[in-house]
Amino acid sequence: MKWLKLAIKNVLRNRRRALVTILITAVGVAAILIGGGFANFTYVSLKEMAARSSGHLIVAHKNYFDKEESVPMEFGLNDSNSLTKKLKSDEDIRYVIPKVEFTGLISNGEKSTIFMGSGVDPKYEFKVKGPFLTIDDGNILSKREKENNPQVMLGKKMAKYFNAKINDSLTLLSTTVDGSLNAIDVTVQGIFSTGIPELDKRSILVNINTAQSLLSTDKISNLALHLRETEATFSKYNKLTREYADLGWQTWLDTAFFYVGVKELYNRIFGLLGFIIIMMVFFSIYNTVNMSVVERTREIGTLRAIGTYSNEVTRNFVLEGLVISFIGASIGISIAALTSLGLSIAEIQMPPPPGRTSSYPLAVDIPVNLYLITAAIVTVVCIIASWLSSYKASNRSIVGALSHV
Amino acid sequence: MTNIIETKNISKQYEQGDLSVSALNDVNISLSNQAFAALLGPSGSGKSTLLNICGLIDKPTQGALYFCGENIADASDKELTTIRRNKLGFIFQGFNLVPVMSVYDNVEYPLILLGVGKKLRRERVTAMLETVGLLPFKKHLPDQVSGGQKQRVAIARALITQPRLVIADEPTANLDTQTATDIINLMYTMHKDFGTAFIIATHDERMSSHCNIEYQLHDGALQ
Repeated sequence: MKWLKLAIKNVLRNRRRALVTILITAVGVAAILIGGGFANFTYVSLKEMAARSSGHLIVAHKNYFDKEESVPMEFGLNDSNSLTKKLKSDEDIRYVIPKVEFTGLISNGEKSTIFMGSGVDPKYEFKVKGPFLTIDDGNILSKREKENNPQVMLGKKMAKYFNAKINDSLTLLSTTVDGSLNAIDVTVQGIFSTGIPELDKRSILVNINTAQSLLSTDKISNLALHLRETEATFSKYNKLTREYADLGWQTWLDTAFFYVGVKELYNRIFGLLGFIIIMMVFFSIYNTVNMSVVERTREIGTLRAIGTYSNEVTRNFVLEGLVISFIGASIGISIAALTSLGLSIAEIQMPPPPGRTSSYPLAVDIPVNLYLITAAIVTVVCIIASWLSSYKASNRSIVGALSHV
Repeated sequence: MTNIIETKNISKQYEQGDLSVSALNDVNISLSNQAFAALLGPSGSGKSTLLNICGLIDKPTQGALYFCGENIADASDKELTTIRRNKLGFIFQGFNLVPVMSVYDNVEYPLILLGVGKKLRRERVTAMLETVGLLPFKKHLPDQVSGGQKQRVAIARALITQPRLVIADEPTANLDTQTATDIINLMYTMHKDFGTAFIIATHDERMSSHCNIEYQLHDGALQ
């Protein structure tokens, strides 16, 4: 405690210099936390979006993910109901949602275009997608649609292409599992946006029964497993792949190309920025302690003469560095926490990123471990900077130090 | 009786580029417990060099140095620091107090280094400050007291650990006549009361009237 008090007094000797160093440390810590918090928010959002879109785990026929089908649904799942029932008995799995993926032509009688369709179970599909699917017009698919009046939801750009309105009639044309062509009339129930223009130009959603009817099959393409905790994905993946080794499995990460790309990019950008900021803090503290060491050379000589070991002198300077880092880090953490809170209240929107149509909130989500890691890094940097700048002076000749002018 | 410090034919050379400057030549001194020794001589005669060697903050280039009977010529920096911490006190010409520490804290500092408990520290520092007449100023910072008072703080700091030897380098040089007289008297009183040996480099002739040993240095050699 005595040494800490002495260190605080020494830091306060040159208040302006100490204040500047503390502010540099505070701004550095705040910048790292805000940058890291923004990256973290982006990662969490993209992870959630990917997991909600594909399911945390996707189970399909053994060849579904690796080989190309020669006819539609060649690698579809038979008797998915019994598999669904077994999987649903697992307490960690919240939903097991069947899906039929298919392609074909869509037409309004005047013009046609290709589509990428998903046959979904409306009871669960829209529940899990939540805010990651925007309904621009109309409604989601009915849970119990009439057999003679199948519904379709169109991507925003596709609706624009057909100039389609709600309740307009369109025709879907696709190849059945036997290789013959089949067509079905559908009514536009809603128009949605995924935020990705290329997807909005090609995507349609229909009831899974409609898709199966169009393809003349009872099979499904895959089952999407939605877990209660995203963090449990990989442990559950390991367990289920062992348990159901005759099936093909993927995790959300295998399909989350955007998430992986953004994470790699952000990690590099924010990693480099973080490194530069840490170096700024390092040189700032090194400079401050170094100036203090030069100014106090005679004092160091005196303390050494009256019996202070050189490592005790070094320790005192390291303590001074730690006092600066503690105050600076505390202020920086407070700035970051207040910024995070302020942004969550202000609800500022960021412009859409390249390749996207929807904006996203500017938010900073700083996890507790980022606070701890940043504080630990700044502390270590301060210890190293203080030690480096004081070690030599603490070990120089006492006579030389006492005669220093 | 074992001398506290004893030098045998010590010499000190400083290298300045290609030049070798001799600061001390074959100097032999010995100080006992009762010593109140003056180190006299003109500027550049080697007083400070000899004082630094006696204070174990410098090493001779030749000769043997004994502290309490032990040859410490080859002692490590840590060993010498331990001896200084336990058995030596220093009084500097420029007082050399730590400016951010109060009078009380400056005097207390050597006891903290020795690991003395808080209660005992308080008793001893209070008693010492009373002895040197600075108890009312214990909370003052060094720049809030006069030069004479600063030197009293330095004397208190040097003696608080009850060292065997106090090294004083021109302790009255920066003081006015009356204050210098007071400081000389105080040091002599402390020498008598605490039984601590003193070696004092000085130009002050009044100092020599109190000293029981005088070493006269000229060009690095004892006269």
